[in-house]
Amino acid sequence: MTARSRRSNSLDAALTVVLPVMLGIFIIALWQGGGLQALFHTDSYVLPAPTRIFSIYQDNSAAVWKNIWKTTSVAMLGLLLGSILGYAVALLATNFPGFGGGGLAVIGAFASVPLVALAPVMNNLTRDVSRVAETRSFVAKMLVVMLIAAADMGLNAYRGLTEVPPYSEDLMMTYAASKRTVFFKLRLPNSVPFIFTALKISVPASIMTAIVSEYFAEYAGGVGRQIRENILMAQYATAWVYIVAACGIGVVSYAVLMIVRGIIHKKLHM
Amino acid sequence: MTDSISDRNDVKIQIKNLGVTFTDNAGNPVQALTGVNLDIHKGEFIALLGPSGCGKTTLLRSVADLQQPTEGKISIEGKTPKEIRLARKLGFVFQQPVLFDWRTVRKNVELPLEVLAEDKEERSKRAEEMLEMVGLSNFADSYPGQLSGGMQQRVNIARAFSLKPDILLMDEPFSALDEFTKEKLHEDLLKLWKATNKTILFVTHNIEEAVFLSTRVCVFTPHPGKLANIVDITLPQPRTLDMKNTMEFTKLVAEVRGSFEGGSL
Repeated sequence: MTARSRRSNSLDAALTVVLPVMLGIFIIALWQGGGLQALFHTDSYVLPAPTRIFSIYQDNSAAVWKNIWKTTSVAMLGLLLGSILGYAVALLATNFPGFGGGGLAVIGAFASVPLVALAPVMNNLTRDVSRVAETRSFVAKMLVVMLIAAADMGLNAYRGLTEVPPYSEDLMMTYAASKRTVFFKLRLPNSVPFIFTALKISVPASIMTAIVSEYFAEYAGGVGRQIRENILMAQYATAWVYIVAACGIGVVSYAVLMIVRGIIHKKLHM
Repeated sequence: MTDSISDRNDVKIQIKNLGVTFTDNAGNPVQALTGVNLDIHKGEFIALLGPSGCGKTTLLRSVADLQQPTEGKISIEGKTPKEIRLARKLGFVFQQPVLFDWRTVRKNVELPLEVLAEDKEERSKRAEEMLEMVGLSNFADSYPGQLSGGMQQRVNIARAFSLKPDILLMDEPFSALDEFTKEKLHEDLLKLWKATNKTILFVTHNIEEAVFLSTRVCVFTPHPGKLANIVDITLPQPRTLDMKNTMEFTKLVAEVRGSFEGGSL
C-alpha cells in the first residue's frame, strides 16, 4: 500500500465519523433554532426544542429510567429466552429433519403474524399466569418478543448448522467421525457467524416488539406505553423524552452487540 | 500388459466390474461409470485421467466409501471400502482445500488427529512434522484466510498425510493453481510419496500432470464413463522437472492422448 492511499484511507475513516456527527449537530441546531419546526409546518408545542425535552427529562429522570428498565428487561429477557429456544429448535431440525423442520415452520408461521394481532392474543393466553397484573403483562410482552427472536434465531442457526463449507461433511466422513464429533468440530463453530446475523436483526426487533406490545398490555408501563399515554394527553414534550429514550435503547443495545461480535469474531477469527 | 501386472500378488485395491448409476433431477438414470476392472498394487501412483463426466471422481469417491456403487465391487486388502474407511486407512484430498476458517493452520492439520482422539502431545508433534514437510512451519499460527491458494492446498495435503493413511485419494487437488505453484507441489508430492511409500490414486484432467506424476495412467472416456486404456509410465524414478523435456515424456503424452477416441480431447 502506498503512503498516499494509506493517508486517504485514514482520511476516509475520519470522515465516516465526522460527517454523520456534523449532520447530527446541524439537525439539532436547526431543531433548537426553530428551523425544523418551520420545515415541517409545525410548532414548538408539538415539536419542542431539545433543551425543553432535556429539562423535562431532568424533572422526571427517576420515572424515565424506571420505564427504560421496564422496556429493556422485557426485550432482553425475551431476546435471550427466544434465541435459546430458536437455537434449540434449529438443533432439533438439524438432527431430526422431519420433526424439527416442522418446529421451524411453526415458529416461522407464528412470527409472521402481525405484532398488533399477536400482542392481544398473548394478553389473553397469560390471563391465569399470575394474580399480579404487572407480572401478567410482563410475561405477555416477553412471550411476544420471545416468538419474534426465536423465529429469527431458529431460521438463521439452522442455516449455520447445515450450510457447512462444500466437502466438509465428506471430509469428516473420511475420518469416520461420529455425528457428535461432526457437530462439535464443524456445525457448531460454523453456526457462530449466523448467530450474530440473527442477533443483528433480533436485537432491534425485540426492542421494537417490546415497545409495541406495551401499547396493548393490561398493565401500563414502559417506554412505548409512555409515548402513547403522553401523546393522548397532549404532553408532547414528555412524549419526546420517551421517543428519545426508545432511540437510545435501540442504539446502545445495537452498539453493545457489535462490540461483542467484534470480540468474538476476533477470537474465532471469522 | 495388464495381465502381467495383475499376476503379481501384492494387490492392494481390486476393482471388479464396477458400475455407478445416478438418478438425475428429472428422475432419469444416468450411467456415470460402467464395467471398470482395475487392480492397484501397494505403492503405486495411479493417475485417473479423463474429461469431465467420465466418472473418474465417481470411481475415487467409491473407493473412499463416499459413494455407493450400483454394480460390481471394490475390495481393499480383502475388505470393503466402508471397513477401510472406518479403520481410517484412507486419506482424501479434495479439489478445494476444505480448511476450517476458525482454526489456525496448525489446528487444521490436527483436525483428523483430534477426531481420532490422539493425545495433545502427539497431535502437535505430528502437525509440526507435516507442516515442516510441506514447508509451512512459519505459518502454523496463521489462519487459512491469510494464505494463498497454493499454501492452502499444501495445508490440505499436510492434513491428509497427518493421518498417516495407507491409501491417499486425490481429486484434482492442483487444478485451481497456477503453473508454477503446481510444479512445485508436484515435486513435493512425489517426494512425500517416495518417503512414505503410500498407494496414491490421483484424479486429473491434465495429460502432462498424469504422465509426470504416475506409474500408470488410467484413461477414462465419457458417456458412459468407462476405463478405456491403461498406459504404463516408464519414466525413471525419482522424477525431475527436466524429464518433461525428454523424448520419452513427449512420446508417453502422445500415447495417452491417442487413447482418447478420435485421438484428441
